[in-house]
Order: sequence, then C-alpha cells, then structure tokens
Amino acid sequence: MEDAAKLEALVIEEHKFASLGRLLAGIVHEINTPIGSIFSNNEVILRSLELLRKDLMDCSPTSLARARQIVDTCRSLAQVDKIACDRIALVVRGLRVFARTADVEFRPVDLGEQIANTLKLVHGEFRRRVTFETEIEDLPQVVCNAGKINQVLLNLIVNAGQAIEGEGRITITARREADQVHVAIADTGPGIPVELRDRIFRAGFTTKNAGEGTGLGLNISKRIIEEIHHGSLTFESEPGEGTTFHMKIPIGAASGE
Amino acid sequence: MENNGRPVVLLVDDEEMVITSVRAYLSLEADYDLQGFTTPESAIAFMQANPFDVVVSDYLMPKINGIQLLRSAKESAPEASRILLTGHSDKQSAIEAINEVALFQYIEKPWDNQQLLLAIQGGVERTRLLRDLRDKIAELASANESARDVQRRLIRAFL
Repeated sequence: MEDAAKLEALVIEEHKFASLGRLLAGIVHEINTPIGSIFSNNEVILRSLELLRKDLMDCSPTSLARARQIVDTCRSLAQVDKIACDRIALVVRGLRVFARTADVEFRPVDLGEQIANTLKLVHGEFRRRVTFETEIEDLPQVVCNAGKINQVLLNLIVNAGQAIEGEGRITITARREADQVHVAIADTGPGIPVELRDRIFRAGFTTKNAGEGTGLGLNISKRIIEEIHHGSLTFESEPGEGTTFHMKIPIGAASGE
Repeated sequence: MENNGRPVVLLVDDEEMVITSVRAYLSLEADYDLQGFTTPESAIAFMQANPFDVVVSDYLMPKINGIQLLRSAKESAPEASRILLTGHSDKQSAIEAINEVALFQYIEKPWDNQQLLLAIQGGVERTRLLRDLRDKIAELASANESARDVQRRLIRAFL
C-alpha cells in the first residue's frame, strides 16, 4: 500500500515536469530576448565608455556635446537592462516556485500569487495569440500544497490555451465563496464535445497530438483537488462558446494523503 | 535604394527592448537609416510605401509571424535582403523561411552583435549588387533595342 502511494506521488511529480518540459520552448524564447538585449547593451556601453574617455580628455565643445549624448544613450540602455533583468527574474521566480519538489507540506498559500506565477510560465507560449484576463478578489490564505495546486493551475491554463484555435481569451477569476476559494478558468475555445465529456477525467484520455499531452493531466488534477485537498474540480462547456473549469478548495483544507 | 545615401534597414520585433539595443549598437558601428517597428502591420504599411534595403524580423509576433512578414517584404521589394532574428529556434521555421521567402540570413537570439552587423552589411551589399544588375540589364536591353532599331533602319535604307 505504501509502495502504491509512493508510486502515485512519483507519477504526479513526473507529470508536473513533463508539463513544464512542453512549455520550455516558450520559456526559452521569453528569456532569450532580454538576454540578447543585455549582451548587446553591455557591448555598446563598454564601447561608449571608451569614446567618452576620449571625449573628456579632448574637452572641446564638440566632444563635450558628444559626451553628453553618450551619457544619455548609456542611461537609456541601463534602463532597458533593468527591464530585461526584471523579465528574466519573473520567469525564473515562476520556475523556482513550480519546481520546488521539497514543497510537500500543507501551508497557508496566497492563491492569487500562485496564479500570477503560473501565468509567467505560460506567457511565452501563448501571449502572441491569447489574451489573459484575471479578476482576483482579495482572497484569504488557503491551507494547501502550493506545488500541487500550481501543477493543477498550469494544467488547466495550458489546456485552455491549447483548446483555443488561433486567437482567443483566457479569463481567470478567483473569489471566496463561504468557506472555500473558487478559481474559474474560462477559455474561448470550441468547447468539449458532448460525447467526450464523461471521459475527460479518465486516465489516458486525450484528444491532443503526440507531444502535446499525456492524457493524465485532468485525471491527476482531479485527484489533487478532490482526494488531496477535499475540494472539487468540475467544468461546464458550451459547443462553440468555450469551456470553464471550476476549482474549489476549502480554505482550511486538510491533507487527505 | 537609399535615404540621403544611407541604406534603409527595417527592424521588426514586438519587443521594444530589442529595437532599442540594436539601434544603439548600429548607431555606434554603422551609418544606417534604421526604422524600428513593434508591430508587423506597421512594418508592412511602411514597406508598401517606402524603399528599403534590408529587413530584419523576429519570428514569433502577434497576428503575423516573421515568415509572413518577410513574404510581404519580398512582394514589396524582391531585391531587398531578408533576415530572420529569432528566439524560437525550431528547424521547421528555419526551413520554411529559407524555402518560402528566400531568406538571406537566419540569426538566433540571444544574438551576437557582430554577426548581426555582418549579416546586415552583407544584405545591403547584396541588395545594391542586385539593383545594379537590374539597372545594367535594363541599360543593356535598351542599348540592344537601339541597336536593333539602327539595324532595322539600315536594312530599310539599303533594301
């Protein structure tokens, strides 16, 4: 029995990294652009400092005017570097929170922050065709396993993004409802066909192409929410109008493990 | 096609920071009229109304991707050189770019400034040579036509 529990925990953990792996191309793109800028700016600033040194030694009115211009350029490049570093730090922070394997304990968690972290990871993959909207109320802290909740959020948001063909919108709302927090993730995709609805939470069921999904995501997500957190994971779907997943977690959820 | 003698280089990237960084580098190392665009639509509008020598484009952009943009550049100015600057390094997009839009260079992000500058310099040179060639061919065709005209008149005069 103990072995079965360990195996299940391992499957959940493996699935988490597999989902992250599929987002890697987007994450790499998201980081490569600011890194390219920082490299380039560094080279320009070093060259500019050389020129500045010459201009200051020369001290003629023309060279002083050019020196002022160089200082302005360097200042604006330093500002770009700050933006670029912030961008990289955001993605890395999102990854770090997600990859924290030691985070097995239940603790009070700000779900709004977890949603923001998850969005940082999917941003690169979907931002060119999907608009993200969030309506997050002031939420109480929820006692939960942050790593596993992030895994469910990532799963549901990636599913929503993949469901949208071409351009669309994902709306994430989070609010308190009595003694639980309700997170809804709505997409503007084509909706789930009626004949598939009974099967979507089954292990191994997928409509995705090879390499896009394992058919375990929703099954694992449902187990994380319902068995481990005593909450509920349900969905509603209208053909042609999209799908909304509803995740409800008791504020003081106790471990079901 | 130049603006006061300066080659016109277009840079299209939805990230403003890329345009700022490349502009700063090129202004230090070269003398180009650099036109930066953060939306493919604005770049296409410019290309349809203005001459240019080289276009450097990102691949992943909203609505229109880099290959679609370069295809539009090819229609507007077939002789201008097309460069893809991409952080999205997949073989499929590279092959598509080379085959479909006759790509001049493929550069990956994070880019190396010198490599980018060499690609742009090479692109400008290539565009100029193609335009010179086109002009020479036109001159040759016109000279050929004049020679034929003279020949026709000579034949008429002597026969």
